[in-house]
Amino acid sequence: MRNKRTFLFAGLVLALALVFGFTTGAMAANIKIGVAAPYTGNLASYGDNIKAGVSLKLQEINDAGGINGQKVELVWGDDLCQPKDAGTVGAKFAADKSIVAVIGHLCSSATLAAMPIYVRNGMPTISPTSTNPTIGDVGKGWFFRNCYTDDFQGKYLASYVVPKLLGKNKVAIFYENNDYAIGLKDSFVAGAQESGVTVTGAEAYMTGTTDFTPQLTKLMADKPEAIFLCGYHPEGALIAGQGRKLGFDGPLFGADGIDNVDYINIAGKAAENTYCTVPFLAQSAGPAGQDFAVRFKKSAGRDVDWMSANAYDCLGILAQVIGKVGPDRKKIRDGLAAINSEATGYKGVTGLTYFDEKGNCSKPAFVKLVKGGEFVAAE
Amino acid sequence: MFLQQLVNGLTIGGIYAMIAVGYTMIYGVIQLINFAHGEIYMLGAFFAFTFISFLGLPFYAAFLLSMACCAVCGMLLDIFAYRPLRQSPRLAALITAIGMSIFLQNLAMVIWGSRPKPFPQGALPAYFEETAVTFSGVSLSWFHLFIFAITLMMMIGLNLIIQKTRWGKAMRAVAQNKTMAALTGINVNRVISYTFALAGSLGGAAGIMVGAYYNSLYPTMGYIAGVKAFAAAVLGGIGSVPGAMLGGVVLGVAEALGAGYLSSLYRDGISYAVMIIVIILIPAGLFGKLIKETKKSM
Repeated sequence: MRNKRTFLFAGLVLALALVFGFTTGAMAANIKIGVAAPYTGNLASYGDNIKAGVSLKLQEINDAGGINGQKVELVWGDDLCQPKDAGTVGAKFAADKSIVAVIGHLCSSATLAAMPIYVRNGMPTISPTSTNPTIGDVGKGWFFRNCYTDDFQGKYLASYVVPKLLGKNKVAIFYENNDYAIGLKDSFVAGAQESGVTVTGAEAYMTGTTDFTPQLTKLMADKPEAIFLCGYHPEGALIAGQGRKLGFDGPLFGADGIDNVDYINIAGKAAENTYCTVPFLAQSAGPAGQDFAVRFKKSAGRDVDWMSANAYDCLGILAQVIGKVGPDRKKIRDGLAAINSEATGYKGVTGLTYFDEKGNCSKPAFVKLVKGGEFVAAE
Repeated sequence: MFLQQLVNGLTIGGIYAMIAVGYTMIYGVIQLINFAHGEIYMLGAFFAFTFISFLGLPFYAAFLLSMACCAVCGMLLDIFAYRPLRQSPRLAALITAIGMSIFLQNLAMVIWGSRPKPFPQGALPAYFEETAVTFSGVSLSWFHLFIFAITLMMMIGLNLIIQKTRWGKAMRAVAQNKTMAALTGINVNRVISYTFALAGSLGGAAGIMVGAYYNSLYPTMGYIAGVKAFAAAVLGGIGSVPGAMLGGVVLGVAEALGAGYLSSLYRDGISYAVMIIVIILIPAGLFGKLIKETKKSM
């Protein structure tokens, strides 16, 4: 009996060792990249966009044989667009030594919360969508992004979109109480002072507010000509609906957070005549962008949006760098930092991307308009 | 602007009143704060959404059917979660209530997904959008009038049920003293179920109206509304139905005026501050009664 038990025990240990040996062997062969975004919750539709964009690029990379023969594997981290959960995801990614880079986070507040963890652990991070200007300072060389920043976007809205495209001069602002919206509002207000646009009032709201009627009544008493939806699309859609109900017929405008099909779904007819600035517009993109739009439509079954395009390029940039330097966190960071001029820039579907010493890049902005129940190019 | 803010406040307040009444009735009969009540409100909105989108029912039919389903949900909540703990310490039932609240939120996420959903377009009668009445710069649409009318009707109806019917009398008896009520031949469990059904149907009606008015449904919408309505019920005196109605309206108006005149960022803080001030001045709430702790021998 004792011999049999010992034999069985030894056999079990051997079997486990074999299993672990094979799996770790398999895992070591895959290059793992973390992708952090809200995949559940109120802003899950943003996470879907990121997923669609990177999944398409992942498929293309792996179909072509991977990077130097190694396949790429994505690890999803759901941060619910909350700083607290972003910290958890960041800690998880940083502790997993087989993850060599992170694409994310999506929301600026989440990225700001996770960056200190990534800096401490030396994890190169590239964000497709975080636009808050201060992230570059917090990133200390480990952060990169291929979207423009809000100090550019806010000024663009204030100096071009409002006075020239919309032809309006009096604006009321509705901004969400988070890093993204506050930063955007500040740069809009600064730009408005220079371009002569008057801000008649600014009201803040917490995420998850559903009733905006008191604030709308207060803002509309000053008779603004346009309302700035400075936040994400769920609240923006509600503000649009309630504003129209209270009798506001002027144009609404927002920034990259408003560009989402759920905005039109929730606001319905009230979404008409809403403008928003975006980093990528398929109709205005060059041949690479338009070709990407076609492939995306085939793979995801819907029209491309700027988040998917930027996420696609993020994975592309990482793949190019990893191909040159190998799957090592420090080397990847150095490789990304080396993309610092037009000559070394990455030519992707969103145009030419290269980073400055803070990891920021400059990209042009485009304007979309909701007309006839869908987003079209505004000019 | 004051009148418009008042109208806003009365609209929000009416909704809070309807949910608060549910909290207060259940507290009255079994001395339990039913934290899952906010979720019944959320389910009402989602049921209506499902009936309209998938069964193609017209708005009013979906409204009534949804209220009925919420009544059933309320009763099921009592039978499965609270009745087994009737003889247990109050803390056990309280924890169960919180647990049911979390369970129902996640159940809704599993069934309907966690993204916000729009109320189906074109489901509401077309004339809802049109302005019905205008006075001194305030315009009320038919939808506003509908909400006011439904809220008022439900409040009056509830009062009639509680004061004038035998079931109402039985509910008041159970609320006063469960043991004596049982001794007089009232089926206490059935009365409690009936209370849950009534509370659930009101909460469901509130949920449908909010979902339709704001055009946004999401599984966690019950949480914040539940907390506000609970605050309203406490403000009016927990256990008192007229108190809950008044508390809801007061809270709604305070929130709207606070957001309009003071600061919109701290609107929630303002309404809770109002509740705290009232409780400090009148500890039992506006219509509540202070009950001295007595040793119960049974």
